[in-house]
Amino acid sequence: MEFTREIYWNVGHGFTTLAPMYGLLLVALVVLARGCLKRLKVYRLGKPLDRTDQRGERVKNLLDNVFLQTQVYRVPGPGTAHSLFFWSFFILAIGTALIVAQADFTDLFFGVKFLKGTFYKLFSITLDLAGLLAIAMLGGLLVRRYLLRPEGLITKPDDALMHGLLLAILITGFVIEGARMAVTEMGTPLAPWSPVGLMTAHLLGGLGEGALRTLHAGLWWFHLLLALAFIAVIPFTKFRHILTTSANSFLSDLGPTGKLTTINLEDETIEKFGASGLTDLRWKDIFDADACTVCKRCQDRCPAFATGKPLSPMRVVNQIGEIAFTQPEANLIDTVDRDAIWACTTCFACQDICPASIEHVGKIIEMRRNLVLMEGEFPGEEVMTAMEQTEVNGNPLGMGYASRGDWAESLGIKTLAEDSEVDVLYFVGCYASFDKRNIAVAKSFVKLCQAAGIKVGILGKEEKCCGEPMRKMGNEYLYQTLAMETVETIKGYGVKKIVTTCPHCFNTLAKDYRDFDFDIPVEHHAVFLEQLINTGKLRIKTDAFSCTYHDSCYLGRHNNLYEAPRNLIQSAGGKLTEMAQNRDQAFCCSAGGGRIMAEENIGDRINVKRVRMAVSTGAEQLVSNCPFCLTMFEDGVKGADVEAQLRPKDLAEILAERLVD
Amino acid sequence: MKTLLVAEFREGKLRVKYSQLIAFAKGLPTEASMFLVGSPNDLPQFDGTLYLADVGKYGEYNPSVHKQLLLDVIAKEQPDLIVFHHSSYGWDLAPRIAVALKAAQISEVVAIEDGVPVVPVCNAKLRRKITSKTAQTILTLQAGAFGMDEDPVGAPTVVPVDTEARGKVECHGYEAAKIEGVDLTKSEVIVSAGRGVGNPENIAIVQALAKALGGEYGGSRPVVDAGWVDHDRQVGTTGRTVTPKLYVACGISGAIQHLAGMKKSEFIVAINTDKDAPIGEVADVFVVADLKQFLPVLTEKLKAL
Amino acid sequence: MKILICIKQVPDMESKFKINADGKWYDRTDLAWRMNEYDEYAVEQAVRLKEQVGEVDLTVLCIGPDQVKETMKKALAMGCDRGVHIADNDSHTREPIEIAAMVADFAKDKNFDIIFTGMQSQDRGSAQVGVMVAELLGLPAITTIVAFTFENGTVQVKRELEGGGKALVSAAIPVVLTCQLGLNTPRYPTLPNIMKAKKKELLTLAVPDLSGIGACQETAACYFPERKGSGIVLEGELPEMADKLIHLLKEKTGVLA
Repeated sequence: MEFTREIYWNVGHGFTTLAPMYGLLLVALVVLARGCLKRLKVYRLGKPLDRTDQRGERVKNLLDNVFLQTQVYRVPGPGTAHSLFFWSFFILAIGTALIVAQADFTDLFFGVKFLKGTFYKLFSITLDLAGLLAIAMLGGLLVRRYLLRPEGLITKPDDALMHGLLLAILITGFVIEGARMAVTEMGTPLAPWSPVGLMTAHLLGGLGEGALRTLHAGLWWFHLLLALAFIAVIPFTKFRHILTTSANSFLSDLGPTGKLTTINLEDETIEKFGASGLTDLRWKDIFDADACTVCKRCQDRCPAFATGKPLSPMRVVNQIGEIAFTQPEANLIDTVDRDAIWACTTCFACQDICPASIEHVGKIIEMRRNLVLMEGEFPGEEVMTAMEQTEVNGNPLGMGYASRGDWAESLGIKTLAEDSEVDVLYFVGCYASFDKRNIAVAKSFVKLCQAAGIKVGILGKEEKCCGEPMRKMGNEYLYQTLAMETVETIKGYGVKKIVTTCPHCFNTLAKDYRDFDFDIPVEHHAVFLEQLINTGKLRIKTDAFSCTYHDSCYLGRHNNLYEAPRNLIQSAGGKLTEMAQNRDQAFCCSAGGGRIMAEENIGDRINVKRVRMAVSTGAEQLVSNCPFCLTMFEDGVKGADVEAQLRPKDLAEILAERLVD
Repeated sequence: MKTLLVAEFREGKLRVKYSQLIAFAKGLPTEASMFLVGSPNDLPQFDGTLYLADVGKYGEYNPSVHKQLLLDVIAKEQPDLIVFHHSSYGWDLAPRIAVALKAAQISEVVAIEDGVPVVPVCNAKLRRKITSKTAQTILTLQAGAFGMDEDPVGAPTVVPVDTEARGKVECHGYEAAKIEGVDLTKSEVIVSAGRGVGNPENIAIVQALAKALGGEYGGSRPVVDAGWVDHDRQVGTTGRTVTPKLYVACGISGAIQHLAGMKKSEFIVAINTDKDAPIGEVADVFVVADLKQFLPVLTEKLKAL
Repeated sequence: MKILICIKQVPDMESKFKINADGKWYDRTDLAWRMNEYDEYAVEQAVRLKEQVGEVDLTVLCIGPDQVKETMKKALAMGCDRGVHIADNDSHTREPIEIAAMVADFAKDKNFDIIFTGMQSQDRGSAQVGVMVAELLGLPAITTIVAFTFENGTVQVKRELEGGGKALVSAAIPVVLTCQLGLNTPRYPTLPNIMKAKKKELLTLAVPDLSGIGACQETAACYFPERKGSGIVLEGELPEMADKLIHLLKEKTGVLA
């Protein structure tokens, strides 16, 4: 026999079928187009932004995310289900397209048929299995949403519509196939190539040919209507993510990771700073709401959300969408709520995990900019005081600037003012300069450099805060003032290389300062020290110790530096027991986003939560390489009452203790 | 040398700190008289001339009228020194006299060294000696800087004073400070929290030490203003002046207003990370440590005694 | 309404002070500078008054060397309309009466309705200038205010008293008011206001003729206070220090008997 089938069997060939079919398709497409255009109008309420540069990379991201489902896969459970469902449905769509291509074009006009023979056999079995897999995966997702009910997952009528419509399309598809096969293919060698259809045909076995034909025709048109309905409702339901989420992969922020938009403060025509209303946001911020599928992966990883603060990154994104489509005049900040806005630590866990390329952090920072720059408002008086102290003394701690270099007395290093011929400028940072616990880290680092024969210089009282906490809190003006001064001071000394012991300083000098024509190479001490050990300039002995390692947000997610610190721990003899949440899944210490300056008054303490995670590894030392993390963990071990069990330590201290004499 | 002491009257009562003015005068080779806008029913224990204006007529706070009354007395008495308290009354009235007499005013005197007044400057981190070049000199004395060990005795010779002057400022009465049952002036042991505690949660550490020592806890002005400690526990010139047997200052730098409130304590322990903090001047023992770490250790050992 | 706010630029009190070469004041190098804290309350209150009444012109006045203009810019950014800088490189040697005379000389023909200033400066702390300005101008003065309202040409204030109580005082304008901690929380300047401040008028005037004023007092010396003799300093490990302290308390006080 011929391995093929009669397309339009029983439904009718020619005009009586094609006309209504294409007519309805046209209607569906018009509804789709109008729906999309309406939404496009709302996106345009936002400010312009060019996201069409670097097309090659953007297209690659699109293909990766859509066809390889890369970001979706990062959460294996539901990620696998969605990916398999997507691929199956995609295969079915291709299959349908091939049928249309033959039936309505190549065969109709040119008499060419390709759905035959071996190709058709493979075609048939592929589609059948795809359909079955789609139903299975969809069933699984349905069970997850409606029976297992994961915490925090929001379910709306929209979801029921989506599950229902898709299941109906898939199931009617098989019933149609079954009815057809029951009449035309039973007992033929072709039948096993549509196994699911065959099974359905057996189930329909009792019906006579007349009934089967009626069932088939009826369901065929019904199936068509469902499919066209699916197309038509795309813009009006979460189905829109097929278009929006895919588009977002193309439109995503190409980095550098975490870089905020820089306000041009020279532009005297700007009268408003930050975002308090919808039209202050960029169109992308409104579009992000449409790309969001409310998967809650961001919320699940948010340290603020996990400890009872009213911040959910997902909700912020959705609230913007709600306002955009229902109340565009609403005040953004009142809607999102100040406590939520201030709670963010810019740890980037949300944006890092998001499968929809949504930019959560920038939106929050824009609202903070509005509060600080337009209203002079801060999360608390202590933050305003820290800002003022930074203006007066160049550090948020309120310490006299003239004693910034005092920690280095009698260490045998000089300030650049005294001697600018150095191998490396050690940009110390505010905490390592003034805070007793962190001064120990600075001293350890200098000791290591000296042992490696590196000539280190510091700025001493000429060093000011790099401005990072101020920038993240929304005070763009103070940040830019500090940044420009720092750039001028450092450039003035002809510095060739900079090393910091603070990831925030590192990140800011390496990325943010590019806006000010600053391109002096900057390294974080973990990378710098690893290099020194690898090249043999620094020798440390292996002295065993048990530890766990905390990936600080600004080294990890912001800069992808996960291995260098681990290599150093290994060189030092550390037996490292990882916390469950490590590397890109690390849980923030709470001090980022400028929150090192603020008090934590709502919910549980984030740092205590992280310390408990460290304690549960059984390790004796909690190793980090950030002054904020170290400060938070020293406070956290007291708060969790585990001082006897767990010692917070910086990597530099561990290495310095192991110097080969 | 003649000295005119300016005593104060408030909320219907003579302010008993006048004894500090007398103690100051006793330290000088001088003949002292006193000026007071007050009541004949509440006179200071003072053996000397008291120029008394009727507070019922002239009011407790009526700067330009008090100024005129005082100037009239000065014109009569011709004192070399006019001495006020460095207080909300004194620093309000004294400069008016200084301008009228074109005389030097030296504010917040804490000591006289070789006949030269010494005042604190820059949050009490420094001292300054100031010599007057005018025939008459006005001084305001820091609260608690001068004092007597016994209560003053004596009966003044009252000379009434009056004036036709009228004031432009009206006083409508007083609003009481919120008192809630703790009277630190009666405590024998006080442990005080300063800005160094860092946040309100750490007040508990200070309280714990106070309890372990069998005393009360207090606070310096900044922590009271921040709401971490109630106002009735504030130690300092606008709070309470205390004289306990033991005063432990935790994370308190020793701003002059605070020092003034507690430096008459018998034994003072300061706990501070800053070795140069001015509290060191009055401390009998200075523990260089972070109170957040030291206090719990100390409290545990005290409990174990 | 016309309002004058007198401010002073002082060193940040966290600075490490050194005595200057002539031993009479602190050395000006290595210091961070800021607006006198008490004057911040004065500026803030004046700006709030302007927000309340509307038709109010705020002039901020400051005496000192050129660097004080930075501090004046902050006052302008908080909301003052114009600045007057009396250029005086010797301002730190002036007596309170001389400073007051400079202010009075500027203000004497301007008919200010209210003059706000801090009750004292954080460095010298003489608490005299505000009242002296009032006396020189023949205006009433009320010091140490921690609350302020204005209605129908009358100011109603609360003066802070020892012990925490407050006196309720009122006066008709014109009046001089000196401000105390607790009056208000000074605002953080918004960026649009910082930008506007750059364009506001900032006049520089010379020091007026001060003959006949001052020469009342002289600084004999400025120095670091000596520590009390019996000051024992404990340093080192926490448990050892605690033991030593307990020993001293037992020995020298009756507290742990």
